Amino acid sequence: MMHNLDFLLELCQTGRRMNLAVACPYGDDVLGAVCEAHKRGLINGILVGDSEQIKKKAEAHGFDLKGLSFVDEKNDYAATEKAVQMVSSKDADLLMKGFVKTAVLLHAVLNKEWGLRAGSLLSHLFLFEIPLLDRRILGISDGGMNMYPDLNAKVGIIENAVKCYHKIGVSNPLIAALGAVEVVNPDMPATLDAAALTQMNRRGQIKGCTVDGPFALDNAVSDEAARIKNIDSPVAGKADMLLVPSIEAGNMIGKVLLYMTGGRGAGVILGAKKPIVLTSRFDSMETKLLSIALGAVVASKE
Amino acid sequence: MEQIRSLSQLLEYAKKIGAEKGPKKLSVAMAEDAGLLSAIEEARVAGIAEAILVGRKEKIEVAAKEAGVDLANYEVVDEPRGESAMAMTAVEKVSSGQAHIYMKGQLHTNHFLRGMLNKEVGLRKGKNTISHCYFHSVEGYDRVFFVADAAFNMYPDLPAKANILQNTVNFARAFGVEEPKVAVLAAVEVVNPDMPCTIDASALTQMNRRGQIKNCVVDGPFALDNAVSEESAKTKGLVSPVAGKADVLLVPDIEAGNMMVKALVYFSKNETAGLILGAAAPVILTSRADSPRAKLLSIAAAVLLSSFEEK
Repeated sequence: MMHNLDFLLELCQTGRRMNLAVACPYGDDVLGAVCEAHKRGLINGILVGDSEQIKKKAEAHGFDLKGLSFVDEKNDYAATEKAVQMVSSKDADLLMKGFVKTAVLLHAVLNKEWGLRAGSLLSHLFLFEIPLLDRRILGISDGGMNMYPDLNAKVGIIENAVKCYHKIGVSNPLIAALGAVEVVNPDMPATLDAAALTQMNRRGQIKGCTVDGPFALDNAVSDEAARIKNIDSPVAGKADMLLVPSIEAGNMIGKVLLYMTGGRGAGVILGAKKPIVLTSRFDSMETKLLSIALGAVVASKE
Repeated sequence: MEQIRSLSQLLEYAKKIGAEKGPKKLSVAMAEDAGLLSAIEEARVAGIAEAILVGRKEKIEVAAKEAGVDLANYEVVDEPRGESAMAMTAVEKVSSGQAHIYMKGQLHTNHFLRGMLNKEVGLRKGKNTISHCYFHSVEGYDRVFFVADAAFNMYPDLPAKANILQNTVNFARAFGVEEPKVAVLAAVEVVNPDMPCTIDASALTQMNRRGQIKNCVVDGPFALDNAVSEESAKTKGLVSPVAGKADVLLVPDIEAGNMMVKALVYFSKNETAGLILGAAAPVILTSRADSPRAKLLSIAAAVLLSSFEEK
């Protein structure tokens, strides 16, 4: 098992360098991360937007633009479309959101003619390092895209994550479907969905992973907690990924991990033809680089 | 004990219990039918059960005469005040400990069940769900099948299904099936979000794995074929300790269950009887259409369960 996320940087630096098209990189956070990623050889950065504005920004912050490509497009919508089209036409390998609204970016991604639809649900996966758990890596989905996924959407979220895990070298991820408790409670729909997902996995309807649930978070990640509760399951205490029932739950777990534990993370949007990197302004440089690296690794294996 | 694998074995085992521990006592509401009295007499002669016969004394005497039964061997309680009173009188004999098993005679099912559910003299056991179980031996199979609930609960929700399942598992254990294999049935063996009973089946499976349903192995959803036929389970590539080996078949609702049971009864070589479970004592709810043999088998099963629950 991987102990921290540095392996993503290593994977990125072997094989062909992926071309990352960034839509509207006018914010110092994204621009800085892309320059740094380019410099470190994780990706080739393609900056799609108002070239003049980008250069000014870089100069103001002392970013090194050496070797990065520019696609000059002053209008934000047009730049976003262009970045998406570069990915769908394979001029670029993955997409990253810059200073443009998420809704605008997704609108372009979902365009039926030149977008990046692949017939799957789009979902967000975040991988976290947990320093206190022997620097184990834990994934959470979906704390970013799907608000209140129903059972079918949860299947889609798991399928996206499983493909991603396979690409980063985890051949059979252990997925814990979380509830607030580890028992089935007819009044808590998340526990019913968790049970259904478990059986779907056992019947071969969800492949390439082992799903079990419901779990409370503690008995999904701690062997000790699982033992105390007498839970007999290959996933108990050993989960690679937590499937959360709602965006609130996922978002809050994610933010605790990112801001209160000293760990780093890597997030990516899955389910489109190519991965989409979407970072938050508050993410550390390390987390942004790791997110770019995760996207690049996934893109390299599409 | 050795597992009872057919209903003939059930009868033999009930005789053995009778011989070792003495016969159990039935309390029969409106015991005014010759066919019914024949079955009870057979149980008595076999040493399985004795009976308190509640009803109109003269009608019981007429029926006994017709059946060739000597009433000297029975306690007859004259209850001339109608069916409702017969039910209350008969059930009170059980709740007060004078008898072990409550059995229906000629009265309407409503009256009989109202007796069972009566708050003062009835057989309610806390909030426990009361459920029905058909048990079958079918030619070609090496075990008894327990089907629930095809008669009492119409559209059970998940908590009710969990209770029905637990009642039925307890009953199967009385047959010596140490850890019954329970298949939760649906029309398919895969989870389909548009078929709610496949979701319930998943929930019950996980409830079992989390220790919320005990003393058994639950899996589902299954279609009937892959629950009872190992061949079919293999064809479908199902990996489950229950696939092809089920003892207990939990049906999603009364229509599916009732039709399945009746198809089994009328289209296969089988022996079938039924029992009501989950009350403070076993309850025999036979219908007029049941043969004396089926009634006898229900009595034998009730005796078995009553003796199992004493342990």
